[in-house]
Amino acid sequence: MKPIEHRIVLKNDISEIERLHDFIKQIGKEYHIKDGLLDEINLAVEEAIVNVIDYAYPDGVEGEAVINVNEENGFIKFVIKDKGKPFDPTQVKEADTTLGVEDREIGGLGIFLVRKIMDNVQYERTADGQNVLTLIKKIKEENI
Amino acid sequence: MKLIVKEENGRIIGTLEGRLDTAAGPGFMKEMEPLLKNADKQIILDCAALEYISSYCLRAFLALRKASAAKGGKIQIINMNDKIIKVFKITGFYKLFDIKND
Repeated sequence: MKPIEHRIVLKNDISEIERLHDFIKQIGKEYHIKDGLLDEINLAVEEAIVNVIDYAYPDGVEGEAVINVNEENGFIKFVIKDKGKPFDPTQVKEADTTLGVEDREIGGLGIFLVRKIMDNVQYERTADGQNVLTLIKKIKEENI
Repeated sequence: MKLIVKEENGRIIGTLEGRLDTAAGPGFMKEMEPLLKNADKQIILDCAALEYISSYCLRAFLALRKASAAKGGKIQIINMNDKIIKVFKITGFYKLFDIKND
């Protein structure tokens, strides 16, 4: 049996974050994800999407981000696709979280959060010009 | 999301409410202005009703912390829930702030 897949198409507009939040809430219900964990997943997906909204397309150009979600063996998988300029978040230099107040830079935290929260983050640039970012997070304890 | 700022015995109390997602960010930056203006004073941020925070809004916290350090003020965060404390810990913000838990 093919796993059930959920899908949402978001415009590159920051107001879409609310729709994304509602979508993640539905996902949480569907897969019985605990509140705290769901908030973390929401944050990681939001940061990844904000990155697409802010940087993938030139200013004033309308674009889309498509998210497909499914669950397999206790892991939830978000596949985020856009047709913007190539960008590999897995290659971004990690924010230095050890710095003190004066040296700490404003920004650079979004991608950092995606990578810290998710168990696995993979990036692929397809031949037909799409960024494909896959985010995987364990949502169920193993049955021992 | 809402930020209410009031002065009490020379201390500035900021009470935060709701979700600080990325879409709320620009509004939050604006609502932070009275706090930034008073960054030389003792500021208490009551986060009891703060439900969620994105990196955009974390930046506003850092900007306030930097202003406070530069102007010799003090910031204390109170009543922050575990979910948000976890985000502060992941990002290293936990040790940048004086966070008081019950």
